Amino acid sequence: MARDLAIDLGTANTLVYMKGRGIVLNEPSVIALNRQTGEVLATGREAWQMIGRTPGYIVAVRPLRGGAITDFEITERMIRLLLQRVGVSRFTRPKVVICVPSAITEVERRAVTDAARRAGAADAQLIEQPMAAAIGADLPIDEPVGNMVIDIGGGTSETAVISLGGVVALEAVRVGSFDIDAAIQNYVRREHGIAIGERTAEEIKVAIGSADPIGDENEAEVRGRDLMSGLPKTVLLVPEEIRFAIDDVVSSITASVVRCLAKAPPELAQDFLVRGMYLVGGGGLLRGLAQRIERETKVPVRMSPMPLEAVVLGAGHCIEHYEALKGMFMGARR
Amino acid sequence: MTTAIIVIVTAVVVALAIIWLKGRRRRPVDGVASFRRHIDALSPEARREVIDRVQNARETGKGK
Repeated sequence: MARDLAIDLGTANTLVYMKGRGIVLNEPSVIALNRQTGEVLATGREAWQMIGRTPGYIVAVRPLRGGAITDFEITERMIRLLLQRVGVSRFTRPKVVICVPSAITEVERRAVTDAARRAGAADAQLIEQPMAAAIGADLPIDEPVGNMVIDIGGGTSETAVISLGGVVALEAVRVGSFDIDAAIQNYVRREHGIAIGERTAEEIKVAIGSADPIGDENEAEVRGRDLMSGLPKTVLLVPEEIRFAIDDVVSSITASVVRCLAKAPPELAQDFLVRGMYLVGGGGLLRGLAQRIERETKVPVRMSPMPLEAVVLGAGHCIEHYEALKGMFMGARR
Repeated sequence: MTTAIIVIVTAVVVALAIIWLKGRRRRPVDGVASFRRHIDALSPEARREVIDRVQNARETGKGK
C-alpha cells in the first residue's frame, strides 16, 4: 500500500512529506540531462552542483520558474524520479497533495496535476502555498482572528490573511529570491564589468546581502570573468551596493504586502498590530527583510521557526487529515 | 425463471438508487459537521503531531 505524499514543488527546492513519516526528501529543483540522448544524469543536489559548470552536451536546468512549469516534460521526469526515490512504484500509486503559488493559472494547474498523475500519482490535488504555510507555521488559523503570512519563495512572493480556516485576502507577485540573485548578477555586470554565475550571485546574497541596513556588515571579494578582456578578475563589493542592486525587487515584495494589508477587513486588520505577520520561505531569510517590511508597514514581523519547511508541513498535515481538509484544495473551491 | 431474475435485479437497482439518493439528500445537513471537522483538523492539537515529528527528526539529525 502506497503512503500518501505532500510535495512542495518549489522553484528553488522540492520537499516531500510522507504520511506517517514526515519529511523524506529535501533537494534543489534541478535536473541534469544529456542534451544529445535526453538521458537524465542527475537530479536534486547532485544536479545543482553542475549548474554553470557542465560541458556542452550536459544541461542542468530548473524546470520551474516563477512557481510555474516552464518545461512540462522535464518536470514530469523530475517528479517521476522524486516519487521513485521515496518508494513509489508502478504498483503503489499514492494520493498526492502539491503546493503551488496562488497566482497559478488554469493551464499551469493542469500542467502540475497532469505531470504528477503521469509520474505515478493515483490522485493529485493542489493547495495554495500561503495556506499550506500558515498551517505549517503553527498559526492559530482555526480561530476567528487575523493571521497574516508572507511566503517568499524562489520565484514567487505571496501574502495571505487567514481566519477561521480559510483565505480572507491574498496578494501574490511573481518575484522571489531568484530575482534578487539576477539583480545582483546584472549589477555586477553593469557596474564592475564582470560576469558572474547564478550560484556566485546567490553566495554574494547570502554573504553580504540585506534588505535594510544591519549592524556588523562586511565586504565581499567576488571573482568573475572580465567582460572586456575575458580574463578572471576579482572585485570588492560592499553591502550598500547590494542593497541598491536588489532594491527594486525588495520594494515590489513589500508593496505586495502593503496591498494585502489594504485588502484585509478592518476587523482583522487590528489583529495584525497585536499578533504581527509571519515570514516563511527561503527568501524570508534575507537579512534585514523583516525589519524593512516592519518599517514600511508599521506592523511587527516575526520569523517562522521552520521557514523552509512550513509549506510542506502544512500540505503534510492536509495529507494526514485528508477527508476533513479536502475542501481546502484548489479544485474543491472552484 | 428469467422474469424472476429481471424482477430481483430491478428491485436491487431500485433499492440501491433509493439509498444513494437518501445519502445525497443528507449532505446539505452535514455542512455544519463538516465545517466543525475542518476547523478541528486545523487546531494546534491536531497539527502538533506533524510539527513534532519534523522537529524531533531535526533534533536527532535524521531530518531530510
